[in-house]
Amino acid sequence: MTFQELILALQQHWAAQGCILTQAYDVEVGAGTMAPTTFLRALGPEPWNVAYVQPSRRPADGRFGDNPNRLFQHHQLQVILKPSPKDGQALYLDSLKAIGIDPLDHDLRFVEDDWEAPTLGAWGLGWEVWCDGMEITQFTYFQQCGGFECRPVSAELTYGLERIAMYLQNVENVFDVEWVKGVSYGEVFHRNEVEMSTYAFRASDPAVLFALFEIHEKECVRLLAQGLPLPAYEAALKCSHTFNLLDARGAISVTERAGFIKRVRDNARACAKAYLEVRAALGFPLRKTGWTVGQQPPLLEGAPASRVWDTFLAEQKG
Amino acid sequence: MSEDLLFEVGTEELPAGAVEPAVEQLRALVLSGLDGARLGHGAARTFATPRRLAVLVEAVEQRSPDVTRQALGPPVKAAFGPDGSHTKAAIKFAEAQGVTVQALHRVQTPKGEYLAAEVTEPGRAASALLPGLLGAAVHGIEFRKSMRWGEAEQTFARPVQWLLALHGQEVFPVVFADVKSGRMTLGHRFLSPGPHPVARPRDYPGLLERAHVLAEVGRRKERIRTEAAEAARKAGGRIRDDEALLDEVTELVEWPTALLGSFEERHLELPPEVLVQEMTSHQRYFPVVDAGGKLLPRFVAISNTPVRDPALSLRGYERVLRSRLTDGRFFFDEDRKVPLAARVPALERVVWQGKLGTYAEKVGRIRLLAAGLTRAVGRPELLDIVDRAALLAKADLTTGMVGEFPELQGIMGREYALASGEPPPVAQAIADHYLPRGASDPVPADDPGALVGMADRLDTLAGLFALGKPPTASADPFGLRRACLGVVHLVLGRGYRLSLGEAVGQALDGVGKKLGLGAAQVAEARAQLQEFFRGRLRALWADRARADVVEAVLAAGFDDLRQARTRLDAFAQVVGASDFTPLAIAFKRVANIVEKQGSDVSPEPADPRLFQEPSETALAQAARQASAEVHRALAAENAPAALAAARSLKGPVDAFFDQVLVMTDDRPLRENRVRLLREVAQVFAPLADLSRIQAEAAGAP
Repeated sequence: MTFQELILALQQHWAAQGCILTQAYDVEVGAGTMAPTTFLRALGPEPWNVAYVQPSRRPADGRFGDNPNRLFQHHQLQVILKPSPKDGQALYLDSLKAIGIDPLDHDLRFVEDDWEAPTLGAWGLGWEVWCDGMEITQFTYFQQCGGFECRPVSAELTYGLERIAMYLQNVENVFDVEWVKGVSYGEVFHRNEVEMSTYAFRASDPAVLFALFEIHEKECVRLLAQGLPLPAYEAALKCSHTFNLLDARGAISVTERAGFIKRVRDNARACAKAYLEVRAALGFPLRKTGWTVGQQPPLLEGAPASRVWDTFLAEQKG
Repeated sequence: MSEDLLFEVGTEELPAGAVEPAVEQLRALVLSGLDGARLGHGAARTFATPRRLAVLVEAVEQRSPDVTRQALGPPVKAAFGPDGSHTKAAIKFAEAQGVTVQALHRVQTPKGEYLAAEVTEPGRAASALLPGLLGAAVHGIEFRKSMRWGEAEQTFARPVQWLLALHGQEVFPVVFADVKSGRMTLGHRFLSPGPHPVARPRDYPGLLERAHVLAEVGRRKERIRTEAAEAARKAGGRIRDDEALLDEVTELVEWPTALLGSFEERHLELPPEVLVQEMTSHQRYFPVVDAGGKLLPRFVAISNTPVRDPALSLRGYERVLRSRLTDGRFFFDEDRKVPLAARVPALERVVWQGKLGTYAEKVGRIRLLAAGLTRAVGRPELLDIVDRAALLAKADLTTGMVGEFPELQGIMGREYALASGEPPPVAQAIADHYLPRGASDPVPADDPGALVGMADRLDTLAGLFALGKPPTASADPFGLRRACLGVVHLVLGRGYRLSLGEAVGQALDGVGKKLGLGAAQVAEARAQLQEFFRGRLRALWADRARADVVEAVLAAGFDDLRQARTRLDAFAQVVGASDFTPLAIAFKRVANIVEKQGSDVSPEPADPRLFQEPSETALAQAARQASAEVHRALAAENAPAALAAARSLKGPVDAFFDQVLVMTDDRPLRENRVRLLREVAQVFAPLADLSRIQAEAAGAP
């Protein structure tokens, strides 16, 4: 199975379950979680079911294309199921069958993994999914996002595409992965690794990056004041990526580090709050769709968690 | 009439480590629920895997018994009118209890005579009691971390998928979030998914086993042990002992199958600790060793599925380890390109604790402190080794390997020190200074590591206490309890005689300078740390002697820990003896008088010229002799002899109390006698505070 077939098969699987397929978010992010299609959509009561491939940039992981396992930029296939369905694990295991991983041929395991992203004010519980001892997916039930409780809870599935492809194709070096017949991952992305690593570690100009950080940070605050959380969040993401670049460059001292992280987090949280206010003002429109994926059995105890947003809604209107 | 009871909570995969505590809670909650509802029952068995927590209770009664109890009504005074008829209060009471007034009878209570009713509460059917009781049990399980899912507000460690609730052949209703109980269970996720109906509770273990779930923790663990041993034998070796890993793996699988894998022999050049860490920490593979305990290039992985083609699955297992070991080799080679000493300056960029600064600053303090300790224990010839080890102790924190495997700190320091040409004792001390890591760990076999380790821990303790951040009941992020016990174990394990107070004082001077603290703040931190040590010693020595004896010995000081421990053991030996209680009582009496009167009299010893009775003279002589003997014996670390000397005062003290009236009206005489008793009390002062020992009050004069 080529890299491309892998992506197509997973997309096909999740589309068939009722997920929408969006394209990758076009601002630099370190993980699929940071795209607004996850970070913002996980907030509030509205249903949301999506799958997308997200190129994820981690400047400090760049190895100039010399390391068989580490990349400046890798690809995640990100799935959000909100509310998390009862049969989320089963749907996920079906997706593995779709890419040729049969549970009777491989030892598949859900191994505890607690996830936390301090820069996003987010955390969740779930697993890393192991296939014969190798982590191939992270499966997380979001509990909090942007400092807000997730009600309902979203299930997040993050497939490490390069890793899975290496496994399926039985190659030891990511650059040997076949993208399509006759064209390797290396031929598509090796030069990108060389140049991006050179940029991140040597060629970037810290003075410019510090200035950019300030500009994006101010821009985020300015846009929030105008009630525009979506462009404001873009600015917050640019701050985050700029911070990662500065960090890779070794330009941020130990004492400054925590301060920068806090500045990013404060803006991300402010964006989350503003986003919720905008959705509430719109009356949380997706609620009317009744859009769900997988089994959603009725509750037998208590009220649905997303009810709490009715209060939020009333407060916004009041 | 009774039937077996089965209750199973089916879940998505629970974290290893959460499974056993949770099933233990479930068992306790179910049994206490049954007892609370007065439903008689037999023995309970538990079953626990990543996907289920279950308890099977034998012979649970169908009905709780009728119970008769007495309800207390109004006092007799208020129950009858002047004409002898029942008052309104009595009638109301009878109505409320559902009996006639004629059925009320009189009972005598400490508050007087009352009317009372015999009330019979009829027993209830198990079918009515079990739903609430088991519902409360599943809601009552607590986890270290819990989560919500979907639209539910209920929390559990992972989502609950199904509930199985059977009493005999009957299903009874229990509800949790979006799940209602039934008679179905699920088998192995892939081999026998089910659902499988369970006809009767006693069918459950066998049914699960046929469904490829070995649900009893003990049996599953033994199966893994046996299978792993068998696999290792095929490789000509045995499994490296690691009970914690075995426990963890047991909680990760329902149906264990061992696979024997291998890695390239050249990786054996890596330090064995690195290989073990790579195999166990992330992969949960069991390393295989030869008869001499040396690692073989093999491992045993425990699979949860007996796959169709083990070779295919094994290829995956080997591949993951290969890439980890390749990474490990990369770090090992890269790290060794820089001599360990050249990494020291990089510690200036590694924060230890915000206000207490970087590791470079900590290392500076450790060096000073370690030098002081080295002199204090009388090993000045070790100063150079200790200082070099202290300088390099934290340098490995900047290596790639420790970045990847924080657990290897110290061990990598030793390896890299040797590779950099450092003297072997220095290298060993770098590794040793983290010992003991836990309560069951040995202390270092040599002094340099012990001294650096003590300095490191004292600096940590002093730093956090000086910052006003002692550990709380629930949070001890800097491991201060462990650090404190570590200091104690190092002192006692290495047999050091040094002043704990001076060592703590020196550590506080160091951090006090960094924090710019005044003398008063340092003194306060010092007092708090003293109490912290006292608390740890109290816990540590709880199994050495009675709590009051430990308290009494600690009250006499523990600046010299070794001496304190010998005193404790000496007391523990005699405290049960028949003549000890009278001794304790006699000396308590002495202590009481001294405490009440001692502050009013001059601090001088008793004046022999004012002695009137021979018993006064005799007691004074005995006390002075005993005092000298106590000090001599303690200096020679002979606590039993010191205690014996002090105990010899019992006779003279008794004679004194028999013949002399302390509280005489003649003031000079009275004050002199108090002064004499104070001398007696001071004989015991360095041994223990006897007033803290619980002696039977009976027999006291």
